Amino acid sequence: MTLAFSLSGVGKCYPHFALRDITLDLPEGQVMGLVGVNGAGKTTLLRLLTGLAAPDAGDVTVLGHRLPEGQVAAKRDIGFASEDMRLYRGQTLRWHMDLMRGIYPDWSEAYAVELLKRFDLRAEQTLGGFSHGQRVKALLLLCLARRPRLLLLDEPTTGLDPVARIEVLEALADVLRDESRSVLFSSHNTHDVEQMADSITFLHQGRLVASADKHAFVDRWRRVVCQGALPEGLEAWPEIASARANGSLVEIKARAWDAGMPERLAAQGLQVQRDDPMALEDIFVTAVRSGAVA
Amino acid sequence: MTLNIPVIKLLVAKDWQLFQKQLAVCVLAGIVSLCFLGLAKPWAFYVGSLMLIIVMVSSACFSIATSLVVERKEQTLAFVMSLPVSPLDFTVAKLVGNLVTFLVPFGVMLGGTLAVVLFTPLPDGLFVYALLIFGYLLFAFSVSLAIAMAVETEGWATFGMIAPMVLINPYMMALTQVPDIKDRIGVDAIVWTTPAVLILSALVTMAVGLVAATAWRHARKPAFY
Repeated sequence: MTLAFSLSGVGKCYPHFALRDITLDLPEGQVMGLVGVNGAGKTTLLRLLTGLAAPDAGDVTVLGHRLPEGQVAAKRDIGFASEDMRLYRGQTLRWHMDLMRGIYPDWSEAYAVELLKRFDLRAEQTLGGFSHGQRVKALLLLCLARRPRLLLLDEPTTGLDPVARIEVLEALADVLRDESRSVLFSSHNTHDVEQMADSITFLHQGRLVASADKHAFVDRWRRVVCQGALPEGLEAWPEIASARANGSLVEIKARAWDAGMPERLAAQGLQVQRDDPMALEDIFVTAVRSGAVA
Repeated sequence: MTLNIPVIKLLVAKDWQLFQKQLAVCVLAGIVSLCFLGLAKPWAFYVGSLMLIIVMVSSACFSIATSLVVERKEQTLAFVMSLPVSPLDFTVAKLVGNLVTFLVPFGVMLGGTLAVVLFTPLPDGLFVYALLIFGYLLFAFSVSLAIAMAVETEGWATFGMIAPMVLINPYMMALTQVPDIKDRIGVDAIVWTTPAVLILSALVTMAVGLVAATAWRHARKPAFY
């Protein structure tokens, strides 16, 4: 299995924030969603993956290049767009496209023109006259038309209106048809992540809370409603993320649901009434609140 | 440690393109100020020399502001850093870009000023004095550039641009306190005195040293953050 990137025991300390002990891999051709609240460390992680920041501990390897030493070679095959990245307001999109064409030998003018039409952008317009949605699309155009092997997107849909958001997600979905292209995109919008990603990583307060295949998340995590009294010590079970009583009902959120759990709960006096899959947002919030590291 | 020369060239060209409108205005204003100087009348000399200093200070500040301060403020720096460049490539591109965008109007204005001094009725003694003033402007530019590249905040970068430029006034006053310089200004001959040579050499050496030190300091950074 070829890895698009590999992080091993990575740490990065700033005066008021630290990313600690991150070990994470992305196989080539996969799409990973990075979910975390503002300040969770998503941007720092993406900066490490582009070589913009050097880790204080651990190893970062991207597309076979160790970073930050090999950042120039790695960045030739990386398309990076972040929410706080801006283009030159006084210059046209055509000017930016020409700059990219000069830098990236794999730049595809035909694909760039196709994206111009798709995003309804005018190449001769200066960026100062673009709306936020148009600026995001322009940035994506500049990233995608260079045909990167790894696409790193930091909050690509933040601040977009619903129409622009769908257009951007559809364009990304098209890109993902290329099975050799890998994508890591961060967001605090779990719906976008759920829609696009093969695997999901939760980051909170600089730590990796959970990382797994999307379907594994949905299969493993369950909201279980039981009849009975909440027994003491239930929350200490490693497979249970939270448990709370509401009258004669007990709501359990299980992080590792299996067929044997109803029997184990029955032994504690709890009769399972129903078990439902959880939405990603609920899984994220529960995982973060329980503080568990998976 | 190798440089990505093709991308550095593109980044320098980019900074040149971003600055070229201000550059054209500066050169135009500089030519107007040289015309005033060339009239060789006391009032025209005062207006022309004042204008010329303003133009040169503006040119230095515009160059640094466009290339470094505005890039940080408008968050286009993140875009540039995402390109296949190392911190060393980026530093070289910024230094070369700034030097080119400053030295082109600087060279035009310096050449024009010396030509006006030599080929108009103005006393030739102004030749050395003009070189001493341009030498200071070069030094002040290198100080501003070094500070703007070292600091992260717009406030300190602005302070770093303004402070050395404002000090040109006391510097000019100080020059007139040196008899070997002051007494030769009105003479119709180019006279190189020891203080003039020492001051000019010191300014140029410090300017080159500052730029070199800035390049060396930034070249050692393994990453941008």
